[in-house]
Amino acid sequence: MQTKQTIAIIGANGNMGSAIAKAIAKGPYRLLLKGNDQSALEALVQGIKSRNASADVEAAVCTTEASWEADIIILAIPFEAEKAIAAQIKEVANQKIVISIANPLNGNYNGLVTPPDTSAAEELQKLLPGSKVIKAFNTTFAADFSTPVIDGKQVDAFIAGNEEEALQTVSEIVATAGFHPIVAGDLTVSRTLENMQLLLIQLGMKYNYNWLAGWKILHN
Amino acid sequence: MYELFFRKFNEKISLTEEEETLVKQYLTPKKLRKKQYLLQEGDICKSIAFVEKGALRAYSVDEKGNEHIIQFGLEGWLISDLYSFLSNEPATYNIDAIEDAELVLISKSAHEELLRKLPKYETFTRLNITGAYLAMQKRLTSIISSTLEERYMGFINLYPNIVQRVPQHMIASYMGLTPETLSRVRQKMIRK
Repeated sequence: MQTKQTIAIIGANGNMGSAIAKAIAKGPYRLLLKGNDQSALEALVQGIKSRNASADVEAAVCTTEASWEADIIILAIPFEAEKAIAAQIKEVANQKIVISIANPLNGNYNGLVTPPDTSAAEELQKLLPGSKVIKAFNTTFAADFSTPVIDGKQVDAFIAGNEEEALQTVSEIVATAGFHPIVAGDLTVSRTLENMQLLLIQLGMKYNYNWLAGWKILHN
Repeated sequence: MYELFFRKFNEKISLTEEEETLVKQYLTPKKLRKKQYLLQEGDICKSIAFVEKGALRAYSVDEKGNEHIIQFGLEGWLISDLYSFLSNEPATYNIDAIEDAELVLISKSAHEELLRKLPKYETFTRLNITGAYLAMQKRLTSIISSTLEERYMGFINLYPNIVQRVPQHMIASYMGLTPETLSRVRQKMIRK
């Protein structure tokens, strides 16, 4: 595919949003970055372009407009913010891939705020019934994006969703970011994926992984 | 966002409110800026675009790098590489925006589901494809048998106001003429 896909990253000022933007700017994508700090966004754009002059990236001023222009939307926002952002993009994101990266952690990092029979991704799908919600980038820390190979092994990144073609498209984005994409299952598998990150955060704090850790499935 | 789309749809075959809601579920709103591609040659054309606002063109590029415009897509028009869309073969056309544009896209999967779910959509599609076929026959006949003046008049009738919106070299490319020849044709017509 040589026709550039436009990806809007909403929440591009955050750790995860900016890490994703830097990591996928080298791919065949045009990036529209939206965040709540315009000067920080401009600096992020300049930073990406200084490392890669051919990167097609710009700062956006409006979530709705950027999502209207986009083919794919990445919501790099906390679970609590999903409702408000979903209302802004619902119409313009119809039929589009919307990537949910959120982990609905509670304030003490010892549990999730979502009931066990749902997940942040499934809740987002309810808010955006016309969109193709895909869970991705939730089991990787922001630091992993600059170091997707840890201890000599390429970190796995799990993807969940209900649409075959959309899963394929998101797998390509994940691979562009440097991770090994694994399609884990339909959107309900997001429950497991979000709990996996809860465990990784807990272990990271307990054993001091310093936020550079990831999952790797060992298999023959 | 879908205003013109549904106006044109209803002109062909009228939809109830419920049917309009159903169709809306399958539409992808998309904005394209001037010079951006909707489709590049070699990719498979995965959606049909309806132009709500702005202007697009579909063109092929020959071995020497010359562009040959096949079709313009102005407000109310559909534009795609229909051959690629229907056959799943790589596209031979490029489609890009010659003005900032607002589009309504119908993806292949949405198109197929709508065909299954709504007989009126099938009628809409038949009328569109029939229209495209007639237009193509007209264009073909005009290229092989009309005078340049007749062809230019035909072009102006097909795309009213386009002369103010599109650079002359693109019109020349659409007609298969050099810009100089097109300019001579226009001068001759003005003198008449």
